[in-house]
Amino acid sequence: MDETVAEYIRRTVLKIPRDEIKTMLQKWGFLSETQLQTINFHQMKDNISQDVVQCCEENSASIKQAAVLDIIYNHSYPNKRMWSVYQMNKTEEETDFFDLTDFRKKFKRHLRSALKNVTINFREYENNAIWIRIAWGTPYTKPNQYKTSYVVYHSQTPHAFISPSVLKSNLPLLCQALVVASNYQDIHEMELRSHSLNSLEDMVFKRYSQNFETYCPRPLQESTVAQESAAGLRIVQENINEKERIQRVNRDTFGDGPQPKLEFAEYKLETMFTSDPKLEVLDKKEPFRCMVKFHSPHLLESLKSLAPAGMADAPLSPLLTCIPHKARNYFKIREKKGFFPGSFVSP
Amino acid sequence: EDADSQRTAFLLRKQWSLYSVTPLYRFSEAHLRDYSRLLSAFIAAEKKKGLAVEIGGELDIKVAVTSLPDLKGSDRDQAAILVQLSSRSSASPKNSEEKLVWSGWFCCVAGDELSENLPEAFTCLPLFLVNGAESYTAIVGTWFQKTFDCCFRRLSLSPFNLSWMAAMWTGCKVEKPASATELVFSVPRLPHPLHISYAINLEDAQALWDTVQKTPGEITQEEVDVFMDCLYSHFYRHFKIHLSATKLVKVSTAVASAHCDGIIKFRQSQYLTGVLMLLTELAICQIQ
Repeated sequence: MDETVAEYIRRTVLKIPRDEIKTMLQKWGFLSETQLQTINFHQMKDNISQDVVQCCEENSASIKQAAVLDIIYNHSYPNKRMWSVYQMNKTEEETDFFDLTDFRKKFKRHLRSALKNVTINFREYENNAIWIRIAWGTPYTKPNQYKTSYVVYHSQTPHAFISPSVLKSNLPLLCQALVVASNYQDIHEMELRSHSLNSLEDMVFKRYSQNFETYCPRPLQESTVAQESAAGLRIVQENINEKERIQRVNRDTFGDGPQPKLEFAEYKLETMFTSDPKLEVLDKKEPFRCMVKFHSPHLLESLKSLAPAGMADAPLSPLLTCIPHKARNYFKIREKKGFFPGSFVSP
Repeated sequence: EDADSQRTAFLLRKQWSLYSVTPLYRFSEAHLRDYSRLLSAFIAAEKKKGLAVEIGGELDIKVAVTSLPDLKGSDRDQAAILVQLSSRSSASPKNSEEKLVWSGWFCCVAGDELSENLPEAFTCLPLFLVNGAESYTAIVGTWFQKTFDCCFRRLSLSPFNLSWMAAMWTGCKVEKPASATELVFSVPRLPHPLHISYAINLEDAQALWDTVQKTPGEITQEEVDVFMDCLYSHFYRHFKIHLSATKLVKVSTAVASAHCDGIIKFRQSQYLTGVLMLLTELAICQIQ
């Protein structure tokens, strides 16, 4: 077995949390059940990975099998990578029958015609999701297995999720190969990026609960009432009414279910500055240029909690609440001409 | 001017942690060499005691205490004092290079409020800036406290202070292309914490400030409030979020950046003294 392959397998196993190693090796299916039983999965990870490499040696693992293990790892832990969303289109209305063999052949052929040194592996998962792993080399060097690009192509849709490698120059070639292999005409990047692949898929395929579900009344939180003092009951009632209203409005705008997981949203503002004329401040007829970025481990849930915390109005601005339906988290906002100030258009 | 900026160039684009320092008792600029020696011996002794284990046992620390005569406001201010720790491998002292591992400097710019009422024996250097490992800061701080009977305290910057800096520094004329004026807000106590970065193109921010600031050469609290309110309103108009209910934690401009934990970065040498003047004032406030 090639030393580089052995090292690559060793490092891939080290990435896996110890409790998951056995399951992942079973999914991989390259080592027999007998071989797996010879490995002590309770020892230190360093030793586990050495044992795994030993077994792979017995089976003469090649880079192809090692690559499959990497795909399985990334499929289980997709959030370690940053994913961008791409959409393909073509003019003809009819969708041809998708042939995986044909796709694979065309994809490989296109990449290899431009670059001899690439490692390409495919794996099909449920929901017609095809995972493609590409390791890039140069005309003079072997593919670097540690600098990989991943593509998740949903064959029944025009969408692909791409996690490019650090070698960004290969991205156009990758996109081309995708278009050619899937019989589309062109491809463009959507303004949507996140570590959470599942959330991107939810947003693009509209699988999150949207805001026009049937109204489902929630029981009023009993504890709020109990904690308020007996005096000022009218204020208490008003507070409850306002809290209820905020919750209701939040449900209307955000929907009932859990929000897709995004880490950031970026807005390039090119709108006019307006203010109370009494202040006698800036009255320019040119845009007030700003860049606003929101960051959070779970952005949409965070934004949803602002109004109940008293930091924002309910409903929140449509610039924020539109993120899931528009399936984007990069925006350029310009003033809508001739309308009531406060209405914006985002191209 | 040029010679000045050369001497102070090393202060730019580094992160400095801020402290306020009470007046130093019986400190003399004439004895800087002695102080270098004494501090050096103190550090060596601390290392022997095993108190400086993390720093790296094989390194000899050389101490240099010098004066920065140009870093002050008026002649009534004490010139800034710079302390630098350099390391050299003790295994081969002749061959290895000296590497700067820690810098700290005391300064006073327009510190009359504190210095004018001080007895002779005291030196007024209320602002202390540090770049380097926390362990060295602790040792140097301890030595100064023991030797000059002074007290160090971290200087944190409130949203109130940061708003002043945002307004003041936005108003400074700088060469283009210049970085935007950026305000960073934090909302930590949500179930999922939120950070908001709000960056305004400098030309546009300056255009706004120019219409807000009415009295030349002077900035009032009201002007700062109006400026910030305008920015908050513009934000609210778009996002329906009340930035005033969040915590302003960082301000970043072409002149300097400041973080609420008491961290500063100087970007322009021409405004160095101006920023130091503001920081000196804040340090004095904290001392009094």
